[in-house]
Amino acid sequence: MNAIELRGVVKRFGKFTAVDRLDLAIPKGATFGLLGPNGAGKTTTLRMIMNITKPDEGAITVLGQPMGEALQERIGYLPEERGLYRKMKVVDQLLFFAAIKGVDRDTALKRLSPWIDSMDLRPWLQKKTEELSKGMQQKVQFLGTIVHDPEILIMDEPFAGLDPINVLLVKDFFAEFKRQGKTVVFSTHVLEQAERLCDRIGLLYRSKKLLDGTTREIKNSYRDRVPLPPPVEPEPELEKIFIKAVQESGLAAPTTEELR
Amino acid sequence: MNRKLLIVVRREFLQQVRTKGFWIATILIPAIGLAIVGIQVLLNRSLEAKGRVAVVDLTGRLYDALVAEHRSRGSDGEAKDAPSARRGEALEFVRVEATAEGLPEVRKRLNADVQAERLKAYLVLGPATLEKGTAEYRARSVKSDIIMREQVAGWLSRAATKERLRDKGVDPALYEAARVRADLDVREAKDVETGETGKNVGFNIAVSAILFFLIYGSLFAWGGAVMRGVIEEKNNRIVEVIVSSVRPTTLMLGKILGIGCAGLLQYAVWSTLALLVSAPGAMAMMGFVDAPRLPATTILAFVVFFILGYFLYASLYAAFAAPFNTEAEAQQFIMIPMSFLILSATTWFFAFNSPDGTLALVLSLVPFTAPLIMFMRITVQTPPAWQIALSLGLLLLTIWGVAWFAGRVYRVGILMYGKKPTLPEIFRWARQAD
Repeated sequence: MNAIELRGVVKRFGKFTAVDRLDLAIPKGATFGLLGPNGAGKTTTLRMIMNITKPDEGAITVLGQPMGEALQERIGYLPEERGLYRKMKVVDQLLFFAAIKGVDRDTALKRLSPWIDSMDLRPWLQKKTEELSKGMQQKVQFLGTIVHDPEILIMDEPFAGLDPINVLLVKDFFAEFKRQGKTVVFSTHVLEQAERLCDRIGLLYRSKKLLDGTTREIKNSYRDRVPLPPPVEPEPELEKIFIKAVQESGLAAPTTEELR
Repeated sequence: MNRKLLIVVRREFLQQVRTKGFWIATILIPAIGLAIVGIQVLLNRSLEAKGRVAVVDLTGRLYDALVAEHRSRGSDGEAKDAPSARRGEALEFVRVEATAEGLPEVRKRLNADVQAERLKAYLVLGPATLEKGTAEYRARSVKSDIIMREQVAGWLSRAATKERLRDKGVDPALYEAARVRADLDVREAKDVETGETGKNVGFNIAVSAILFFLIYGSLFAWGGAVMRGVIEEKNNRIVEVIVSSVRPTTLMLGKILGIGCAGLLQYAVWSTLALLVSAPGAMAMMGFVDAPRLPATTILAFVVFFILGYFLYASLYAAFAAPFNTEAEAQQFIMIPMSFLILSATTWFFAFNSPDGTLALVLSLVPFTAPLIMFMRITVQTPPAWQIALSLGLLLLTIWGVAWFAGRVYRVGILMYGKKPTLPEIFRWARQAD
């Protein structure tokens, strides 16, 4: 069964067609990357899947049902333009996100507790959001996205503007979701990320879909037409080197402030 | 839907009520009101005649008559029982002996005394005072002590009148006994007595004006709060997170209701304070002897028109805030609803002065000025029922239309970043489908 299905979806803004006759099928349990340059129609597509804007033509089904309000509560959504109420306490903010998704206070706190500890957020819970560093605020945003234990996770450019620690955090989220058999959909214009994380991709360009399928299938079908890269010696990633260097230095762990 | 609305209402309400600014305004505004009343009382005191006034009486009999009038009458010319000691400290007449020939010399001395502020002023009373009532009054400035001059002129008129009656062989006591002060008993021309009298007009005018400007100020303040709330959510980039689980119209309505509840809480605090202050003892202390109660219709009209006005203006503010990213950008469009409010305030006095006039009628029917002007008309003189019904009907219809427009614009506007839209573009959004 498909987690998300789009059939002949069209979205226009005035004379401009933002998404043109898009068909897409994302199976349950997939990690799907929606790729394409800026302005290709990725955000509009994700917004339509989320029922924030409605398509002019075509149909969208999510978890086997036509997309509607009730289904919104089964999806965790992190938009590209994301933020928090600056004057609200962190804990109130998380409980507000939980409440609008229909999750009561106790369940929400119980569910988030392990994450709050692993992200070192506990000392910040009673602070106003504006007192938090940007990195800390991003962690709060992620928690707001998963507080209702969604079956599908949709993230629009999730890695944009993240510090290395939070990039790892998002990857952990994805891995955890995949382990639980849940579906992850995210957009990015950085193809390397998609290559490493996705088992399926779709490529949008100028409002149209150019490619879509498993990463393996797509690579195989282009094997004869695209030159192969020279073989490379495996080498450690800078990210991992940075963390190792910090650990070995014997110095205190970096604050989020320093990682910004 | 309803559950989400309540969650948004609760958040908005708590956000407003938890700020220091809310409580500062809630406490400060009545405090300023009380301070204004206090200053008024002090100013009234300062208007009482004070100081020494020398009197050169060339007639030889007006001085005693003047002092007698001053002693027997209060500052407003009506007989009072107030202790004379207080009046004595307020204003004192001093007799200066002079003859017509010696006057220039005396005048020189008195001028010097006035210039040196040993005297407040001096009066020269002569035969002309008895014949035509003219008297000379010299002070440091011709502009000062207008109230005191009026009072002195009043006492002098009586003194001269009585002396002239005496000359004609009439007992001045007869004059006092015969004098009658006319008093109009103002009532509404209706077959059934309404109990409305002209006696409390001053109080009612004051209350009407205070309530009028309270609604006016509230619409400005809370409309502004809705605008800032909408822009804040957009500027914070949180709005898209929320509309992924809450319908934009629900979010907008929740914001308007939540902030409106904060406004009502503020009114509740003020009403409680007003009830405490207007307790009989407190009113008497402020000089409102047996102040009348507010008519129930005024209170009802106040609540109804505040709530309707708030919904109208809050929706307008939300619609004109949603397309923009900063308050500065929104400001020029916010001027549209604001100008209606300002128009209501500037025409208040004209409508007040002739509540049956064409201007008042038109402004009380036009939905954008109706919340204020119809309210004011009801407090002054209850308009015909059909006018109130028409005004309310048009207002409700407009609120419905504006809310629809605001909902459509809001839904599109909150997701638009970047370029500042033009007015035609905003109207196009309203027509645009989902």
